[in-house]
Amino acid sequence: MTILVTGILLGGTYALIALGLTLQYGVARIMNLSNGETLVAACFAAWLLFTAGGINPLWGLLIIAPLGFIANGAIYLGLLRPLVRRASSQGMLEVDSILATFGLLFLFQGLMHLAFGGAYFNYQFLAVPFDFLGGSYALNRVTAFFAAVIIALALYLFLYRTRIGTAVRAVAVDPDAARLVAIDVGRIAAFAFALGGAITASGGVLLSTFYTFNASMGAVFVMKALIIVIMGGVGDVRGAAIAALILGVMETLVASLIDPGLTLAATYGLFIVILLFRPQGLFGGAKG
Amino acid sequence: MLEIQNVSVRYGWHQALFDVAANVRRGRITVLLGTNGAGKSTFLKALGGLVPTEPGASVRLGGVEIARMPAHRRVEAGLALVPEGRGIFGKLSVAENLHLGGFAHRARTDEKARLEHVLELFPRLRERLPQIARTMSGGEQQMVAMGRAMMSRPDFLMLDEPSLGLSPLLSKDMFRSLRRIATEADIGILLVEQNARLSLEIADFGYLLENGHIVGQGPADELRTSPDVLRAYLGEDVVPG
Repeated sequence: MTILVTGILLGGTYALIALGLTLQYGVARIMNLSNGETLVAACFAAWLLFTAGGINPLWGLLIIAPLGFIANGAIYLGLLRPLVRRASSQGMLEVDSILATFGLLFLFQGLMHLAFGGAYFNYQFLAVPFDFLGGSYALNRVTAFFAAVIIALALYLFLYRTRIGTAVRAVAVDPDAARLVAIDVGRIAAFAFALGGAITASGGVLLSTFYTFNASMGAVFVMKALIIVIMGGVGDVRGAAIAALILGVMETLVASLIDPGLTLAATYGLFIVILLFRPQGLFGGAKG
Repeated sequence: MLEIQNVSVRYGWHQALFDVAANVRRGRITVLLGTNGAGKSTFLKALGGLVPTEPGASVRLGGVEIARMPAHRRVEAGLALVPEGRGIFGKLSVAENLHLGGFAHRARTDEKARLEHVLELFPRLRERLPQIARTMSGGEQQMVAMGRAMMSRPDFLMLDEPSLGLSPLLSKDMFRSLRRIATEADIGILLVEQNARLSLEIADFGYLLENGHIVGQGPADELRTSPDVLRAYLGEDVVPG
């Protein structure tokens, strides 16, 4: 029971990180391998605000998420849009963008190493026990989970209940058809990429409240996010949320029942199993 | 009026259209006839902004030049396209498809009334609003595509072979709806068809396209009896005399 709850709490934050990636990949068609660097930068930003300014990370979200939006929007418009413009096919764009964002990953990782070194960071926020159904959990994890649920719900309502949100989904489903209904696909793609950055940055802020982070962990997290996105089905918001909870529970299970050192191995094991048996995602039907 | 002049399209070394010119009037149905590979679909895509035209092309909609606008702005200008293969959002519901049809700024007033009009035109869609579009039959998907295009409040509507894959009965229904759309909503329709017989029955004016060139034009009732048309598109032997 404790394992299940701990896993679900962790999965909530994973869901946000993955939702950011799935927006960027599903709508803007950019597999952003440097997405994890947005996450790490958000962790450091939350840490800075908390230790230097005494700002509660939940308030910090209001600063850092918009910064994530702006930074990712700038990356898209400055670096990735030229690739989109010259790509003659979807396959070419995928190869180009993976190479470009792979490069960005190392660039940003290097910059953060320069600024913060390789040491591990954390800070004490709501580090008090919280009792629930006979188990005891850190209050910061519980808070992060509920904050993640609220942000994910807001994103869901935006995508399914507003006109712009529906347009974002329309571009994810069929960019050619989207142009026929007067949707400016280029603008929606830039917007979705920026929004994905803001969501991942929010995930980073929440992660930093209970997790020890360092400048080079971005790549590990982008892989986790990628696993969640593929498990949930590319561009599927609901699928990603459920897949994130599954991954959170599985990691916690392996860490507490077998060995914490094996979590990463278990994660990749799951990834391989999914790629072999359900490449269209757990909940996706046949392609179409 | 939709005035089209000098529309040429090249795919690499291959030229698909040569200085095509045509006029489409509001409230009328204009049909473009041609065999497979004549360039009909390319022509509609060029007008919709989905394939680039050679310099010198002019497409004026109500006097406004739209030939250099991107596709989404042409919809805002009042030109809607139902492309080959329909181009609906297969993974979204019928209601979402129609809602997205009204995404254009020009379509945001009276969206409810227009939806009502579309559902009255295609009553079948009303019962199917929550259904995922790709799970419907071909005829129903065609209705979604036409309804969605109507939701953008177009002045001109272009349709690429809307009867493709439909039974003769459904095709007749569909052509009858087109007639209603043109007359009741005062929309100019540009129709590309292989089904020359049915389309000439409902059309007002027709153009003949062959190997990228306009080779003939005239009122639909004249084309219906023209020996050239009968031979080329209706597959009938003309008895001399």
